[in-house]
Amino acid sequence: MSLLLLYALLLKASLTSFSGVGALPQIRQDLVVTYHVMTDDDLSRAVLFGRSSPGPVGLYIVSVGHAVRGVPGAVVGWLALASPAFLAIPMLALLRRSLHLPRVRSALDAVIIASATLLVPSGIVLLRDALAQLLNL
Amino acid sequence: MAWLVTRDANKTIGSGMASIELLRRTLERRGWLDDREHGVLNAVARFTPGTNVLAYLAALGWTYDGAAGAAIAVLGGSVPGSVVVTILTAAAASVDRWRAVRVGLTVATLVAAGLVLVNAWSLVKPHVRGPRVVWTLASIALAAALYFAGATPVRVLLALAVWGACTPASAAAEADKTS
Repeated sequence: MSLLLLYALLLKASLTSFSGVGALPQIRQDLVVTYHVMTDDDLSRAVLFGRSSPGPVGLYIVSVGHAVRGVPGAVVGWLALASPAFLAIPMLALLRRSLHLPRVRSALDAVIIASATLLVPSGIVLLRDALAQLLNL
Repeated sequence: MAWLVTRDANKTIGSGMASIELLRRTLERRGWLDDREHGVLNAVARFTPGTNVLAYLAALGWTYDGAAGAAIAVLGGSVPGSVVVTILTAAAASVDRWRAVRVGLTVATLVAAGLVLVNAWSLVKPHVRGPRVVWTLASIALAAALYFAGATPVRVLLALAVWGACTPASAAAEADKTS
């Protein structure tokens, strides 16, 4: 598989997800099922490495890249992981320009509250995982 | 700032949102970030496709130093972890083979869970203590109801954005909030 195609597939998965492991189904579909360039075992190991490394959980995409094309693949994985982050800049600029409008401020407040509410289940899942690991020690 | 972002973004294992909480504490202690700005960056990060933490870092870096700041923040937040992941993958290591590693990972996950929950509280705290307590509680209930009904996070956020836009604060509440 060419590095360009690998980048395109990982970027597509990254762009269509909104959380750490959200891209996993798309990556599995493309790289395991369609192109057969990695196995389910490779993918599971990549997720484990992503969760065992400092920083965002989404780093497993780097491991996926490495499993497919070695170090150049890892670099491509990192690029696919990092590039969507810059979309935050035009969104921030757009938001700041309209923050003086009460409706926009209220919408923003509601989104902040919603994102806080959504964090609670994530925290609980992490807590549950940690307790399960503790029992298995 | 580059050092603080690199240090705090790579201090936790198992959750990027925990890194954001560490970074918020560091920057707030130095007076470089307040709860309001943290909330705005968090909301933007949530709506950006891909990894939320990196979007948060890009927005934070952009706020403080434009394009260079965004690039440095994203590099600092992703390169060290990527190097570790690459080394682990290259060595095909079974990181959980050793008991000490398993204990370390468990403790790290517990800490990350705590930090995620603290981050949730820090986002909602200014609203709970503000003039729109009932509206805030209704927003939490609505978001939770949508989530448990099976809506994806993005749909929950979009629905709440619409709810917020349809229920703006009164002028009195706005003035109270500003003061």
